Amino acid sequence: MRNFILFIRRFFNLILFIALEVLCIVLIARTHMMQGVDIMSSANALTGSAYQKQQDVVYYFRLKSMNDSLVNENARLHNLLARASGSLDTLKDSSVRLAVLPTDTLHVVTYNDYTYRQARVINNSVASGNNYITINRGTKHGIGKGMAVVSGTGVVGKVEYVTSDFASVLSVLNVKQKVSAKLKDGTYSAVSWEGENPDLLIMENIPQQIKVKKNDSVYTTSYSFFPSDVLIGTVTQTKRASKNNMQTLYIKSASNFRNLQYVYVIENKLAAQRQRLEDSTKMTNKK
Amino acid sequence: MSIYPRNILRLCLIVLIQVLILDNITLRWWAEPNNFPIFVPMVYPLFLLLLPFETTVPVLLILGFISGIIVDTFMNTAGIHAFAAVFIAYLRTNVLTALLPKNLSEYPNQSPSVKNMGWMPFLVYSSFLILIHHTLFFALELWSLENIGYLSLKIVASTATSLVFVIIYLLLFTRQVSVRNNN
Repeated sequence: MRNFILFIRRFFNLILFIALEVLCIVLIARTHMMQGVDIMSSANALTGSAYQKQQDVVYYFRLKSMNDSLVNENARLHNLLARASGSLDTLKDSSVRLAVLPTDTLHVVTYNDYTYRQARVINNSVASGNNYITINRGTKHGIGKGMAVVSGTGVVGKVEYVTSDFASVLSVLNVKQKVSAKLKDGTYSAVSWEGENPDLLIMENIPQQIKVKKNDSVYTTSYSFFPSDVLIGTVTQTKRASKNNMQTLYIKSASNFRNLQYVYVIENKLAAQRQRLEDSTKMTNKK
Repeated sequence: MSIYPRNILRLCLIVLIQVLILDNITLRWWAEPNNFPIFVPMVYPLFLLLLPFETTVPVLLILGFISGIIVDTFMNTAGIHAFAAVFIAYLRTNVLTALLPKNLSEYPNQSPSVKNMGWMPFLVYSSFLILIHHTLFFALELWSLENIGYLSLKIVASTATSLVFVIIYLLLFTRQVSVRNNN
């Protein structure tokens, strides 16, 4: 026993050092598994309110550019409304019922029930490997984990941590998760980010026979948590991989991640039901 | 000012500068298309560098952990900053003993600064520890050695900018403290 205490006293520094580093590694590992540690994010009350204060000061300097982006978005939405008014079911308040398959041959019309909630970005980053955006909406305002976030111009990300007043959004600029995407003709693939340039996304494994031109648009699919047909970006460059006859597309993201001010959080009312169904299918397949 | 409030105040100041100002700069080296990595300058390790000479290793480790965790909470990188900060807190005493001519206990109530160490030793001390901090941080954050050239470029560029900010901080704040002491 005495030797043990002597040993601890002798190597106390080293033991404390190793203990703290192990604690850090546990924390890192837990966030990389993407669960828990909700307190340890910028969505908690203290950091959230600090960012809110800072944003209150910086807000006024950006009003002009924000005004421009809102006017542009209004114009885009008017166009969309004029084009899509045929397939819309109802349009009241902020809730939109959009037919999933407007040309269903069986005449079964299903609706995805989306609710859009606007939120202000109070903190934003583009420099790290996994970039987070903090918004000033939380469970109090109906935000939940896993909801999709879009800006006026395109996709932004997915809500990952929520507290009562704030939420952290994992943006598309991350190396953890890919986004399901499609081209204009319906070719599916996934869009990822390499962790370098915040304007450049990558879409891999497009068969060579698909002709892709510069400035073609890339949209989200209904396979992911995003509503379908939200703009991800436009193709800037195509590259052929010689080994497997596939081509890689370089995409300029539609949202300007350096300059996000307002975003919309999209709640899909049918998401939970769909998730349950897909999970149960997986379970039966395993058996 | 006594040594405890001064260091607590310094922690708050440095963390606020880090989180509210520097994190929003996202410097890019020169122009757009060079494919040069973007990065955030980090000055908060300076808090650990400027603790008094006599601070014992356990206290250093715990303070390193606390400061790292605070920055982690703000930047959504649970644990990565804390890991790097604890590491340099552990190395600090050894680096100081190697660089200083006298024993550490012969500097009572003093913090490492340009005044009692001289510019060159202080810059070697801070650049070495900041380089290690940044190397650990970016290696853990990207978690792949796939594009190692990009990683090392990011580390070197970030260390250089962080050092510039460290020097600016020293020029801004040490002078005032010494003037106040003289009065």
